[in-house]
Amino acid sequence: MPKVLKIKKGVEEGINDFLKFLLESGKVKGIFTLKKTNENGAVSYSLITHLDELKKAVPLFPLMPVNAGKVLSAFTLLEATKDTVAAVLRPCEIRSFIELVKRFQGSMENFLLISLTCGGVFPLKSAVNGEVKKLLPIYWESIKKGNISSNIRPTCQTCEHFIPYQADMTIAIVEKKNTDKECNIFLNTDKGENFAKEAPGDIVFEEMDTNEITELKNKRKTQKKKLYEELGIEKLEFKTLIKIFSACLSCHACSHACPICYCTLCDFESKIFEYKPSSYNMELNQKGGIRVPPGTLFFHIGRMVHMGVSCVGCGMCSDVCPVNIPVSMIFSMVGDSLQKMFEYLPGKDIEESIPFGTFKTEEFAEIGE
Amino acid sequence: MSTVQNEFFKKPKKGAVLHAEGGIHKAILDFLRKSLEKKCFDALFIPVKVHDTDSYVWVLLKDKSLLNEANPLPPVISVQGGRALSTLTKHGEMNLQIAAIMRPCEIRAVIELFKLKQVSLNNITLISIDCPGAMPLSDYISNPKEMAKRFNNLFETWEENESLRPICIICHRFSLSSLLPSISRQSASVELEGIDSPASDIHIGLVGGNGEKIFLMPVSSKGEEILEKLEIATEDSLEDWEIKEKELRDKKENKRKKILQELKAKIEGPKKFVAVFDQCINCHNCMRVCPICYCRQCYFDSKTLRLSPEVYLTRAKERKSLRFPLDTLLFHLGRMSHMVLSCVSCGVCEDACPMNIPIAQVFCIVADQVQKSFGYVPGRDRREPPPLRFFQEDEFQEVEMQYKKTISREETQNA
Amino acid sequence: MSKKIGVYICECGPNIRDRINIDEILENLSSIEDIKVVKKYPLLCSNEGKKFLADEIKNEELTHLVIAACSPKEHEITFMNVCEKAGLNPYLFQLVNIREQCAWIISNKEEATRMATKYIRAGINRVLLHKPLQKKELECNPNVLIIGGGIAGIEASLSLASPERKVYLVEKTSVLGGKVRKLSGLLPHQGMDLTFLQKKIKEVENNENIVVLTSSEVENVRGFFGNFEIVIKSNRNDLEQKEIKVGAIIVATGFSLFDPKETPQYGYGTIENVVNALEFEEMIASDKILLKNGKPPKTVALIHCVGRKEKGYCSKVCCLYSLKFAQFLKDKLSDVNVFEFYSDLCLPHKSDQDYFEEVKKKGVNFIKANEIQIKKSNSNINIEYKTITEKKGSLSVDMVVLSPAIIPAENTEKLAKILNIPLDETGFFKEIHEKLDPVSTPIEGIYIAGCASGPKNILESVIQSQAACGKILSCLIPGKKLEPEVRVSEIVEEFCTGCQTCLSVCFYSAISFDEFKGVSVVNEAICRGCGNCVGSCPSGAIRLKHFTYPQLYREVLEALR
Repeated sequence: MPKVLKIKKGVEEGINDFLKFLLESGKVKGIFTLKKTNENGAVSYSLITHLDELKKAVPLFPLMPVNAGKVLSAFTLLEATKDTVAAVLRPCEIRSFIELVKRFQGSMENFLLISLTCGGVFPLKSAVNGEVKKLLPIYWESIKKGNISSNIRPTCQTCEHFIPYQADMTIAIVEKKNTDKECNIFLNTDKGENFAKEAPGDIVFEEMDTNEITELKNKRKTQKKKLYEELGIEKLEFKTLIKIFSACLSCHACSHACPICYCTLCDFESKIFEYKPSSYNMELNQKGGIRVPPGTLFFHIGRMVHMGVSCVGCGMCSDVCPVNIPVSMIFSMVGDSLQKMFEYLPGKDIEESIPFGTFKTEEFAEIGE
Repeated sequence: MSTVQNEFFKKPKKGAVLHAEGGIHKAILDFLRKSLEKKCFDALFIPVKVHDTDSYVWVLLKDKSLLNEANPLPPVISVQGGRALSTLTKHGEMNLQIAAIMRPCEIRAVIELFKLKQVSLNNITLISIDCPGAMPLSDYISNPKEMAKRFNNLFETWEENESLRPICIICHRFSLSSLLPSISRQSASVELEGIDSPASDIHIGLVGGNGEKIFLMPVSSKGEEILEKLEIATEDSLEDWEIKEKELRDKKENKRKKILQELKAKIEGPKKFVAVFDQCINCHNCMRVCPICYCRQCYFDSKTLRLSPEVYLTRAKERKSLRFPLDTLLFHLGRMSHMVLSCVSCGVCEDACPMNIPIAQVFCIVADQVQKSFGYVPGRDRREPPPLRFFQEDEFQEVEMQYKKTISREETQNA
Repeated sequence: MSKKIGVYICECGPNIRDRINIDEILENLSSIEDIKVVKKYPLLCSNEGKKFLADEIKNEELTHLVIAACSPKEHEITFMNVCEKAGLNPYLFQLVNIREQCAWIISNKEEATRMATKYIRAGINRVLLHKPLQKKELECNPNVLIIGGGIAGIEASLSLASPERKVYLVEKTSVLGGKVRKLSGLLPHQGMDLTFLQKKIKEVENNENIVVLTSSEVENVRGFFGNFEIVIKSNRNDLEQKEIKVGAIIVATGFSLFDPKETPQYGYGTIENVVNALEFEEMIASDKILLKNGKPPKTVALIHCVGRKEKGYCSKVCCLYSLKFAQFLKDKLSDVNVFEFYSDLCLPHKSDQDYFEEVKKKGVNFIKANEIQIKKSNSNINIEYKTITEKKGSLSVDMVVLSPAIIPAENTEKLAKILNIPLDETGFFKEIHEKLDPVSTPIEGIYIAGCASGPKNILESVIQSQAACGKILSCLIPGKKLEPEVRVSEIVEEFCTGCQTCLSVCFYSAISFDEFKGVSVVNEAICRGCGNCVGSCPSGAIRLKHFTYPQLYREVLEALR
């Protein structure tokens, strides 16, 4: 039975106490978590090293200004951190970080990874007009009731991987009804247990509420089907793609917000894909008209091919799109099917190598035939 | 510094006033269709509405039937015209004559990119058109029909409309005046064989037409040739347009000063300025959609700025916490210092910002001041070299003089 | 590969030893990772010191070397040579300045020690990021380009040309000889005929080590002493271009004559029979001193100093050749009256005074006058003037010969830009020092000779030409090795968008644009590593070797810690 650090305070207070303990005791030199940037609801990830600043921490705030996996990757890109650092991040963020570590874009060494059973985050637009503050109580209500909050990111509404993999500690949220009275931190690894020693609270043995979890998973599955139908993408045909991406500005915000897109210079932004006059001439003669910038859909399909197998469905791409294209719904859909084909779940296991880089003699024999 | 208003270079005195039965858009499209038929151009570069959607995209078209869904002045700027033309001509010109019709800010971006060798203007005729402004992209996407309606109403009255993008409400460069070289800067000109210096070749005036007529005028010698070939007589007086244009321009210039001053007071000083970017998520969208930001890889995206975790932790310890992603202010101030001299205030950056930061207006405050101190208006003159690339011995003497005074004071003290 | 850094602190006699607590620094540094040895030494730049360093490098098997001593301007090269000889790449070395930047400016010993420690740490951190750059060697090009085929250019080419040294003589007109060719002769006591010039031109044409390029002009110059790359364009056919490589350049472009039309009071161009000196030389040379109506003149006025006030300097040679003209007129035309209008007489050489007396004896009238006005009166020319005593005078003549000022040759400005050498206020090429260094320019390897730098006579032009040759012969020795800069900039192709901003700020013209690839390219042989391009590239596509961002950042970070 798993060990749990139970703090007899509401989950927000409890986690803050625990983080305070980590910093005060010197067990960690810094903590990556969400922090208030101002009093109007702006939050951003911060590496906090001092208790004063920790007071402004809001680890459970349902907003993802940037995928924390990208943040941790930037932090450890050149080398692993020598000092121990704790990070509080959502399941998809850990998964992205692991996918990046597999590609040598970061290191997990000396990190204490704390995650939570995730109820989703609001789209960035809600943060813009200060709406989030108003929506917070509704959000927590839905979570308590085991429902999907209707105002969260579509990918969150349909996410089935809300129980973190690879976290040293997991804060129980969605499957708990008493989050206003209790803070339960599951200690998943030896490291987690070590860091919880002498922490405020009691070590107890508890199981996760699998019924709650399964129910929520089913609700989200149903919601996925519903949203796919609403968008008209349950059968993803080429003409659907054309229509959905018709408004695309080729700004590539989606790829730059994506944690998995780590290339220093994206192929689609390099000279290789810049049309020469002869290409324009040819297409203009063939079709009588050519859209500029060209290759809109080609970019998206190309990106799907390059990163789809590691897509964790975090939803950053949709949030940053200036023309509201539901990029993440489509990418996570394609990602899901790619991952199924390879029986690969991105970010679940650091030892599991990326399908494209692994050669198996017996694979997709049917295509060969 | 003298303003562009008083020193026009070959400002067109006469043009062709065409009646726009069926509306302005139809009149312009008819003119373009005719010019395609008469082979003045082989292809047009114009925004076209994607079939069955409300999105506008830039299309290079030869097929005249595509003109049915074309719109020379859509309610939104999706991709900045300068950026689009750069994508089209960056690696050289096609061997056909292309006419590109764009808003003045887009034309000015084209000219700036031309100076930076990112656009080739061989075989390109630039047609500029009076612009009433554009609607915010996100508003348009949530409610396209309503926004399109409000936009179309602007053509009759040219009155201010609060639905417009904030950057458009304060725009005084919506017409031809910002596309003509200034005589006082002639000495700084670069020799370009066979190229007229005004930014556009033909201008279509709409102000003062009440939505019933359009004012077609040649700006460069290329423009004159084309109108001649089309057998469009340019003998009509442009007075109606000129008067209304100046009136509106003065009004907007005053409004610009006032509003930017108010904004400046709100964001001045380190504390307040930093607060502008409280919600910035460092997505760099603003840079990516900006026509002037032409670098294949932005310096601020490069690996050069990556440091070891030890360094980050030390920084975090010194400040008690360190915001990630890093270098928010460094990015904005750095981008400002790299491109603000060429900033044409088109506002696509603001449209692209997912956090609604008034980035275009902030950059305008700096752009206006910096451009003024160099006496430079980006995009008005094809031959005017960008200030940072052009060495003038007699410039900013006041900065020098301070130093000289100090030296001589020291010398006399030591004597 | 494990790193072994050797850190050596020089006591520099009392300079550093007395002002900085070196022992304290030795202690502080010994705990840093990767440091194999930290020692102090009395005077590292001495012979013993250099030997000591070489031994240390070998014995301790050092991979990197940090020396804390004086300014790199003093001894960076010294210690780099030590490294090289001892088998350590000289670029894996950093010289930290704790003398000029610490010991000599900080009076408090504790503070000085603290700062010195910081700087040394900074240097250690920096050196770890150094790359072992490879030195390049170029053999210098002994050939010479001479611009201008006049007397100075011809002299230079004959003095320099040899089987080991080719000379390219570029002349913009179609013939060699310059202005001397147009003369009727030298001064009488110097020998009248110009066969000497024809002889020299023949010699040049027959010399197989001299390449004569007439009807050609220099289009582009880049590079540096020993390694210039020149593009020469043909005047006949714009497309015809020739690229040559030389080690030195002599500018011998001669002069032009002031156009008297700018001083309408002399009537040049408006009144018949008013000619300038070169036109009169032509008349003498063809033996046809005639008026427009075909008759010989009865009264000739020779006017000195035309344009002198406008230009602001004396052209030196006109007084003498005007004497020559006067003598000629008197000798050739029996009863001609000659008047010389002068403001001062310039007769500097040993034989000039005598010559003047001689000419005067022939009955030439000398009038010291100013405010000369030349007008047409019926079929004659009327000269009105004022003498120095303010007396007004008037003279009727039938021919006027003007001595116009000597001004810079056409295209002097253009050439100055191409060569990057300065002009002075008069518009002539500027020598480094009028008296002490009259043939050198600020650019090493580019020299000026003859009237290109100001009015002078043939004697002086020849002297200067030989002086420039002397300089070249002594330092541009065939076989001499040049070491171009190794710390040059490099452009990463993938990030370059071809905006050519770097080209516009490169002073050395070391960057060119590859039209095919659409990117800018650095010519490493010519780049001097100034870093202008690095700063100008907005996307950071250009890096400077040995001064990369990580290296600089590391150094500064440590220094500020």
